[in-house]
Amino acid sequence: MKKLQYLFMSLAAMFLATPAFAQSAVNGGSAAGQWVPLAAGLGMALAAGLCGLAQGKATASATEALARNPGARPGIFIFLILGLAFIESLALFTFVIIFLQVKA
Amino acid sequence: MPKQLLFTKFLNGHLAAPVTALLEAVHVHPKHPQAPISNAFAMEILVFLVLIAYFLIVRFTLSVEKPGAFQHLAEMTNGFVEDQGHQIIGHGSERFVTYLTALFLFILLSNLMGLIPGLESPTADVVVPLGMALMTFLYYHFHGIRANGAAYIKQFLGPVWWLYPLLFPIEVISHFARVLSLTVRLYANMFAGDLLTLAFFSLVPIGIPLIFLGLHLGVAVIQAYVFMLLATIYLSLAVAHDH
Repeated sequence: MKKLQYLFMSLAAMFLATPAFAQSAVNGGSAAGQWVPLAAGLGMALAAGLCGLAQGKATASATEALARNPGARPGIFIFLILGLAFIESLALFTFVIIFLQVKA
Repeated sequence: MPKQLLFTKFLNGHLAAPVTALLEAVHVHPKHPQAPISNAFAMEILVFLVLIAYFLIVRFTLSVEKPGAFQHLAEMTNGFVEDQGHQIIGHGSERFVTYLTALFLFILLSNLMGLIPGLESPTADVVVPLGMALMTFLYYHFHGIRANGAAYIKQFLGPVWWLYPLLFPIEVISHFARVLSLTVRLYANMFAGDLLTLAFFSLVPIGIPLIFLGLHLGVAVIQAYVFMLLATIYLSLAVAHDH
């Protein structure tokens, strides 16, 4: 059991390493350039995940408020859309920055 | 030569020389003198023509007894924007309805254009949303000054005098950040939608990208609404009187 664990751990480390080696030739071969795709992916994943969490929280509160007071629908709708747009734009800022950095 | 859509090619074929001459006159040197008109600009012209045609049709078929389909559509859009304006701005929102409706229709049509093969969204190019955001910025400041006069400056200052030097730069920066966020929100949404469809199209060329086209349809409508909503809110903040 212990040996299998070591085997998988070393395999995982090797699989992680291969893309890094392969990338170094693509991005001009600079030492920093090889981390750009990894950083872009991780950054976008973080932004998208946290944006999803926040939007979920906002939507949950809005539906709860709507269930308690269906009469307040128009006001809640405006603030929900507005909040979602603002939260979403944060993820989109990340996307734009990644797009600018990776292309340059 | 850049890649051109059919309509861009048509425009460049007929108008390349005068447009290049005009740009040279204001000391702008287009990258390709044979094709100075970009795809985004050609698509904007197309949206402009379609909207003008739509408004003309509505104007000439106006009738009290027998309202046509176009009139119903126009009344619905105008009523929707008027409702929003009344809810957010309250009294005196009528004068903004024309601008907001035009903005809404222009963005909606621009966004939806990306769904048609052979055309692309002008809003997926960053300069187009920037233009609309700057226009909105100037518009709400103009109306803020018109409604409040010199007292408009109070909106940029804090509640007490010793906070003024601290809050003034913050408020100015936050107003410019509105332009940035309006621009980036619309541009990135449209651009990311196109990119997403393209990415899935390269993975599975049949069927699956349709789902994302449907998603993009929803995003296009919501973003046009959000842009209009934010313009309304900025207007409401600008014209509000401090009591």
